[in-house]
Amino acid sequence: MTGIRLEHVTKRFKSDVAVDDVSLEVKDGEFMVILGPSGCGKTTSLRMIAGLEVQTSGHVYIGDMLVDDYEPRERNIAMVFQSYALYPHMRVAENIGFGLKVRHTPKAEIRERVWNVAVQLGIETTLNKRPSELSGGQRQRVALARAIVRKPEAFLLDEPLSNLDAKVRTNARIELKRIHRQLGETFVFVTHDQVEAMTLADRIAVMDRGHLLQCGTPHDVLTHPVNRFVGTFVGSPELVVLDGAIETRGSETAYVHGPIRVPVRAGAPAGPMTLGVRPWDISVERSPGEGRLAATVAGLERTGSHDQVFVEIPGVAGGAPVTLRALVRSYDFNIGDPVWVGIDGTRALFFDPEGALNDSLAAPSAGH
Amino acid sequence: MNRRTGRKALRIAKRVATHLVLVGACLFALFPVYFIVITSFSSLPVEAISASSLIPRPSQLTLASYQAVIYNSPQPGFSQMLVNSLIFGGSAAAAGLLLAAFTGFALSKFNFPGRRTFVYFILAISLFPSFVLILPFYLMFDHLGLIDTYLGLIIPYSAGAVVFSGILVKNYMDSIPDDIEEAALVDGLSRTGAFFRVLLPLCLPILALAALLAFVGPYTDYALAQQFITSNSLRTLALGLFSNYSYTTTEGSAVWGVVTAFALLMSLPIFAAYLLFQRYIIGGLTLGAVRG
Repeated sequence: MTGIRLEHVTKRFKSDVAVDDVSLEVKDGEFMVILGPSGCGKTTSLRMIAGLEVQTSGHVYIGDMLVDDYEPRERNIAMVFQSYALYPHMRVAENIGFGLKVRHTPKAEIRERVWNVAVQLGIETTLNKRPSELSGGQRQRVALARAIVRKPEAFLLDEPLSNLDAKVRTNARIELKRIHRQLGETFVFVTHDQVEAMTLADRIAVMDRGHLLQCGTPHDVLTHPVNRFVGTFVGSPELVVLDGAIETRGSETAYVHGPIRVPVRAGAPAGPMTLGVRPWDISVERSPGEGRLAATVAGLERTGSHDQVFVEIPGVAGGAPVTLRALVRSYDFNIGDPVWVGIDGTRALFFDPEGALNDSLAAPSAGH
Repeated sequence: MNRRTGRKALRIAKRVATHLVLVGACLFALFPVYFIVITSFSSLPVEAISASSLIPRPSQLTLASYQAVIYNSPQPGFSQMLVNSLIFGGSAAAAGLLLAAFTGFALSKFNFPGRRTFVYFILAISLFPSFVLILPFYLMFDHLGLIDTYLGLIIPYSAGAVVFSGILVKNYMDSIPDDIEEAALVDGLSRTGAFFRVLLPLCLPILALAALLAFVGPYTDYALAQQFITSNSLRTLALGLFSNYSYTTTEGSAVWGVVTAFALLMSLPIFAAYLLFQRYIIGGLTLGAVRG
C-alpha cells in the first residue's frame, strides 16, 4: 500500500510562502494531477514528496511511513523531470540502468530489466546512443524508462510532456495513461496544462498561490469548481464569465446581465452575482425559439469537429452589447450571420462577489 | 571584361588578400619557434645564422646541442631536473585539482551564507601577482622548515592551482542543471555519491583543462623555485634553463644551441600533456554546445 499523504505541509523560501498548509492524500494506484499556474507551488509540493525540498512544517507520508527525515534515495520513489535530466555522459542503457547499478543489482539482471523496459517503451534501438543524439520524444521515453525500471513505490512527474511538440505530446499522454494502467502504481503528475490534467487524472488537485483549492475527479472539478479561479482555469474553451446581479421582477427571480436572464431559485436574495457558463452550454441556432436571444456572429475559430463561435448580443436600452464564446458542432456559420443564442441555465455556475461558488441558486427545475 | 567576370575577379582578389594576411600572421607567430628549432640543430654559433642560412644545409645540422643538454647539463643533470619538474607540476595538478573539484562543487551546488563573498574573495586573491607572495611565503615556510624541500614548493603550487581551478570548476558546474544532480539523488545516490559518479565525470573537460594549466604553472615557474630551492638535487628545469644560459655565457661563448635545445626538450612534456587532454578539452566544448 503506497499512497502518499501531505499533512498541513508548508514551505517557505525566506519570506515567500511557496506552499501554504497543504493537505493532500493520494490513494494507492491513483493518478493524481496537481494543476495550477506557474508559481502556484505545485512543483515545490512534488519536490517535497521526493525529498529534494524539505518542508518548513507539516508531514509527508509515503505509504504508512513518515518520511520527513528521509533522503530522496531512501524514499523509493522515481521522478521524471521537465528537462528529463538525463546523464549526458552516459549512453541510454546506462542512463536507464543507473539507479539499479547504484543499488548493486547484478549486471545480468540490470541488462534484462533495461532491455524489457526499453522494449515496452519502444526505445530498444537507442540503447547505445547518447542523450544528445535523441529526439525530444525519445528523451522523454528514456526518462520514463529510467523511472519504471527501478520499480519504485510511486512515480513523480514534473511537467514531463511540456517540452514536446503538440503531436508527440498527445501520443505521449495516451502512452503514459496506458503505462499507469499497466503498472497500477501511484502517479503524481504536475502540470499547468488543464487538458493534460483532464485527460490523465483520476483526481485533480488545483493549486493557486501556494494553496490547495480543490481536489476531485476531473468531472467534479469541471462541474463544481469551488471558486471562480478553478472554474476559469479548468475547462477548454475557457468558462464564459459575466458579472451581473440577482434581481426579482414580479414572481420571477433571475440572474441578469444586460439582455441575458437566467432564472434562479425563487426568493434568492438580490445583489451582485457572477455567472459562469461552459461554452458548450451555449447554443447557437439559425431560428428563434423559447429563451433564445437574437445575436450576430462576430467571430469564428474552426477547430474541426467543433467551432468556437463568438456571438454578439445587442445590449438592452442602448446598453453595451455582450459577446459570448460558444462551442458548437460545425454548422458552417459565417461572420455577420444573424443567429439565436440560448444559454442552458441548468448547468450554470454562480460565484458570489468574493469568487466562491454559490450552489444555492439553481432553479428548482434544474436540480441534479 | 564584362561585369560578371569583374565581380569574380574581385572575389578572388579578396580571397588572396585574406590568405596573405593569414599566412603573414602565421609566419609572425611561428618564426620564433622555427628559429629556436634551427638554432638548436645548427652547428653554427647563433651570430653566424643569417638570412642566407635560415634554411640550414644538411652539413650544418648537428645533434651536439642535444647531447650537451642531456649529458653535460649542470647539477643535478637534465633527467633529475625533469623528474623534479614533473614532481612539482604533477603533484600541484593532482592536489590542486582534487581540492578545486570540491571547492567548485561547494561554490556551485551548495547554498551557504557568505557563498558570494567567498567567490569574490577567491577572485580577489587571484588578482595578486605571485611575486608579492614570495616574501611572506618564504618567511612562513622558513619557520616551518619547509624551505628547500619538495613539500615547500608543492604546497604553494597546489594552493595556486586551487584558486584558479576552483573558479573554473565552479563556473563549469554552474552550467550543469541542478536537475541532473537531483535525478542522481532520486536514483539512489547520496550527495557525495552524486558528486563522484555524476557531476565529476561531467566536469572531466574542465578538469582536464585545469590540470593542464595547473601543471604548466609550476613546471615553468622560475621566481618561486629560485627562492625556495638551494640544493642542487631539487633544481627544476626552469632553473636549469637559466643556469645553462649563464653557464655557457660565462665561458665566453654564448652557446645558444644548447639553450634552445634545452628549451625544446623542456617543452616536450607540455606538448604531450596537451595532446593527451586535447580530446577532453575539445569534447567539453561540444558537450556544452549540445546542451545549450
